[in-house]
Amino acid sequence: MITVKGFSYWYPGEEEPALEKIDLTIPQGQFCGVVGANGAGKSTLCSALSGFVPHFFHGEFEGEVRIDKHMVAQTPLGELAGEVGLVFQNPFNQIGGARFTVREEIAFGLENLGLSKKEMETRIAEVLDLVGIEELADRSPFALSGGQQQRVALASILAMQPKVLVLDEPTAQLDPRSTEDVFSALRGLVQRAETTVVMVEHKLEWLADFVDRVIALDRGRIELDDSPTKVLSSPRMVKMGIGRTQYTETAAAAKRGKLKLRPKILPVTLDQARTFFR
Amino acid sequence: MQRSTLFIQGDRGLYRLHPLSKLAITGFLLVAAGTAPNLSLLLLGYLLLLLPLAVWSGLLHPFLKSSLLVITPFVISLAVIQGFFTPGQIILLQLGPFTFTLEGLLSGLTVAGRILLALGGTLLLMLSTRPDHLMLSLTQHGLPSSLAYIVLTSLQIFPRFQDRARVIMDAQQARGLEMRVNPLKRMRLLVPLMGPLILGSIVDVEERAMALEARAFSRSGPKSSLIVLRDSFPQRALRGLLLLGMLSLIAWRIWAVFSL
Repeated sequence: MITVKGFSYWYPGEEEPALEKIDLTIPQGQFCGVVGANGAGKSTLCSALSGFVPHFFHGEFEGEVRIDKHMVAQTPLGELAGEVGLVFQNPFNQIGGARFTVREEIAFGLENLGLSKKEMETRIAEVLDLVGIEELADRSPFALSGGQQQRVALASILAMQPKVLVLDEPTAQLDPRSTEDVFSALRGLVQRAETTVVMVEHKLEWLADFVDRVIALDRGRIELDDSPTKVLSSPRMVKMGIGRTQYTETAAAAKRGKLKLRPKILPVTLDQARTFFR
Repeated sequence: MQRSTLFIQGDRGLYRLHPLSKLAITGFLLVAAGTAPNLSLLLLGYLLLLLPLAVWSGLLHPFLKSSLLVITPFVISLAVIQGFFTPGQIILLQLGPFTFTLEGLLSGLTVAGRILLALGGTLLLMLSTRPDHLMLSLTQHGLPSSLAYIVLTSLQIFPRFQDRARVIMDAQQARGLEMRVNPLKRMRLLVPLMGPLILGSIVDVEERAMALEARAFSRSGPKSSLIVLRDSFPQRALRGLLLLGMLSLIAWRIWAVFSL
């Protein structure tokens, strides 16, 4: 479980906080989406949940972030890595660089955790299958496309079996098919292993289909925090510069065009849109 | 993307040896190259030690190709320089005031022979050993894992750095930067390339450090390895003998120098 209490954070030399008075509880096994315009504090929130704030970026902070029993500010990053996994946007920089095949790249984190060879092989086989990259196992991670590298990065973190998985726009370089694969894999992980997933994502349609909850950030504060339907259909999403799903926009346009449509809440998924326009 | 190492996939001969055994062979050859008293012994070492090792490992063709590629400029330049500038009794060629002597030629060839033997030993090690296996064997014997990581990433990152430089250069050329100019002007044109290249690399370093932390790189406690390097008593004995051989050659050389 993730607990954030009154957390504010200032990057070194900055007067304005990147995050301001964040209060948040995410229970074990919840798939939570985070949205926001550029500069809203999404990546900083990811860093705060995974310990990079304050351990890596330093700066000043107030309040606390807790992952289960671990106080993030008091737990070294090396120890937190077994509890919280972080996947970020640029796939190339997530490849460790010291291993020559995808299989060994995935093993890199497991070696640092000191796992046995047998345990490593079992986990590697599992994540290769889960992320759908078995055919890449013996290739060099540097010889892969951006999308393939991103899946290797995801597999490398998943293999460490963290209780909490934080992903900062992990599908930015993926095509629609690969994006769906990643979302499905994460959904499966939440259901099977009770992993808590926090995912920053701009692809709102995918969030609407897969996550349990959406948090919308604006200028470092939590502005909306509710079910995907309530948050993604909110008119405030447009005001915050985030936008809405194509289904929501179509339905909003239809309402503005004075079509006689009964449902009050705008649709955010294809199924909801079907019902809405029926 | 360019290849980052000389390693060629294989499964016989040297490939079956523990990386430390290969390192010991290379070390012995380096010491032998530095201590052998004459050209014939150096050439014998190349023909009777290195070539059979290359054949045994199925690496004869790449080994000979790389050896010749590197050694030829050395042979030519050393033979010419030493031939003309080392005084001697037997004159092979007279060019105005310059004389090319047999003693000078032999001296040049001996230096080239030393380079050939040392380079050949190193080349065989690099052709038959994956760098990560070599680093793993060294970390298992006390080398700090952070140092091994730096060596390995440097090998992998350098070609990537070249790729990025090429992309930036293409982008600059697409905006009208003319690169087909004389070398002096070209040097000046490298300035707009360096900014994005260096700044981009600094950003990369930060993200890469985060990725490493996310993979528990700084975690305290024992680490394990997916790769298991096979070792045996005969190989450990071989390493001991090679070490003894190296020390003996050095001692013999020191004795030879001081007894003159």
